[in-house]
Amino acid sequence: MNENFHRPYNLIAELTYRCPLKCPYCSNPLDLTNYTETLTTEDWCSAFEQAAKLGVVHLGLTGGEPSTRSDLEVLVKHASELQLYTHLVTAGMPIDAKRLAVLAKYGLCSVQLSVQDSTPEMSDTIAGTKSFDRKRVFAEEVRALDLPLVLNVVLHRQNLENLPEIISMASYYGAHRLELANTQYHGWALKNRAALLPTLDQLKNASRVVQDSRLLYPEMEILFVLPDYYSERPKPCMGGWAQNTMVITPNGRVLPCHNAGTLTELEFWRIPENSLEDCWTISPGMNTFRGYEWMKDPCRSCEYRERDFGGCRCQAFALTGDMNATDPACSLSPHHPEIEKARDESIQSAPSFVYRDSAKKTGGQI
Amino acid sequence: MKNLENSLKSLLEERYHHKHPFNIRMHKGTLTKEEMKTWVRNRYYYQTRIPKKDSSILTKSDDPDFRRDWVRRVRDHDGDEKNTGGLELWLRLGDGVGLNRAEVSSLTNVLPGVRRACDAYVEFVNGHSLLESVAASLTELSAGPLMGQRITAFENYYTWIEPSALDYFRSRTSQAPRDAQEGLEFVLGNAKTDKDHVACVAALTRKCEILWELLDGVEWAQSRPKIVDRARMRKNESMIVLPERAIELNSTGMEILESCNGEATVNKIAEVMRNRHNTIETVFTDTYEFLEKMKSAGALEYI
Ligand code: SF4
Ligand code: SF4
Repeated sequence: MNENFHRPYNLIAELTYRCPLKCPYCSNPLDLTNYTETLTTEDWCSAFEQAAKLGVVHLGLTGGEPSTRSDLEVLVKHASELQLYTHLVTAGMPIDAKRLAVLAKYGLCSVQLSVQDSTPEMSDTIAGTKSFDRKRVFAEEVRALDLPLVLNVVLHRQNLENLPEIISMASYYGAHRLELANTQYHGWALKNRAALLPTLDQLKNASRVVQDSRLLYPEMEILFVLPDYYSERPKPCMGGWAQNTMVITPNGRVLPCHNAGTLTELEFWRIPENSLEDCWTISPGMNTFRGYEWMKDPCRSCEYRERDFGGCRCQAFALTGDMNATDPACSLSPHHPEIEKARDESIQSAPSFVYRDSAKKTGGQI
Repeated sequence: MKNLENSLKSLLEERYHHKHPFNIRMHKGTLTKEEMKTWVRNRYYYQTRIPKKDSSILTKSDDPDFRRDWVRRVRDHDGDEKNTGGLELWLRLGDGVGLNRAEVSSLTNVLPGVRRACDAYVEFVNGHSLLESVAASLTELSAGPLMGQRITAFENYYTWIEPSALDYFRSRTSQAPRDAQEGLEFVLGNAKTDKDHVACVAALTRKCEILWELLDGVEWAQSRPKIVDRARMRKNESMIVLPERAIELNSTGMEILESCNGEATVNKIAEVMRNRHNTIETVFTDTYEFLEKMKSAGALEYI
């Protein structure tokens, strides 16, 4: 391997896009129906083997909902034989206690459960599916098996007011870590931006709540950052484009992040037609934004470029049509007014959700 | 004015470190030799910050009479001549409990929590008004009585310490009440508005917190770090893997982590590391820092 080799530490395996939930901020592609799950159990097992050889340490099994795949047990067993730290990212259904126990026996290392809000009514409304009660029981099942539990809650204007309850719920569930993720406005979330984008007041209040909670729950790590729409600088993307993480989609495309498929001009390669190493090291798409050569001004000459890598490529493309542009979340971007406009509009009342379920075009106002 | 005095005194009754579990154990006679040594060695860092913060207070006053009185505090600690004064007396306490004097006075092995608390005090004074700084010093109102109890406790329970080593405490039984009285008069005479009152109470509250944190910092040395169950070690790569991150370690880091078995205390781990790496001067602080870093990375818990 040459000196330009970037060791991938993380593999995010999107096993499927099937999911019983319908979150309006889902990061899965909008044209879900165009995807078929082409990767077989053997393909995934081979991908894990290759990943371990390339230096991958963490394996995230995600989706969609990974437990909709019936070969999940086989995959977990194989991954743990390869010494991968295997992490299941789930909505808590359709998986049940019996299956979870088997996964634990096969060496599953930790579980991340997504919850939408702190009450059944709110959580189920956002998920577009009755699921809150199941999630609570699932959290108990995880802790009963002594598996570490991470709780992930996506924050937006409809649930930010409930942050104190969300945090105490996480502690009650026995999570060692709570990820308060800001909605990233890609895919479904961009469609629903007006209904999701919080106001500045909501965010300021949330920061205070988080600060206090860190004192009240010292044993739980609470992750919270201001969303990029409200910070002057964009978020650094994945520690740099194709630096340490790779994503494999249900149909075998190997991407540097779960949204990179939206960059339609880029050519990414697939397994099993290609080796994972080739997909990672030499596919043209992977190399497009490695390093700083591709940058235009203002990023090219900016002192922050090694800190934020010019921001998110997918957001730049979605909002400006130019994937080489500075991320509009940056106040130095000529397209920044677009972000400011969305912020201003957030002060007005929120429209209804468009649920990810394509059959149902509009959701109820909550 | 009575009001302010009452508020300050009841605040001390509530929050002064006489109620800290470590102090309670000290006065009940149940500290181990090791704990006593850790306290004496670390508390010396606090002693050395006192003349610095008092010098800072001096620079805030325009009144020669105030400065003439206050400068006495600096002299009390530093001594009028070499090898006299409060700092010297504390070093004798260190000798008395069997510490290496050079090590104590070098200040290199101070526990991180203790260092943070003491530095916070100096910074507080640097950044606040004369009135607030003097108000913060009023913990001395409670120091006099505490010294009395302390001497009795030491004489009764810690008989392995030479009585002459306790001269520091004896000197404070007379100095502290006198200093406290002067400080109190200054505060009561200069806190004129409601806003001043609030600021004085806030300053003394902060000071109580600092003294409390200092003892928390001392107790940390006795806690027992343990690698969390959710971590997996990849020994051949010197890596510890957690659900949210993987941390690559050098060989010293691996050594320290391997000692984090939930049995050995921070103190013991640091000692083992010093025995193994006695040429590295900063081995204690390096070990402390590493343990703190691993804790905030979620790799360690303390039991
Ligand atoms: S101009 Fe580019 S590199 Fe500079 S802060 Fe903005 S996004 Fe980052
Ligand atoms: S390119 Fe954008 S969507 Fe992709 S990981 Fe980076 S920040 Fe996220």
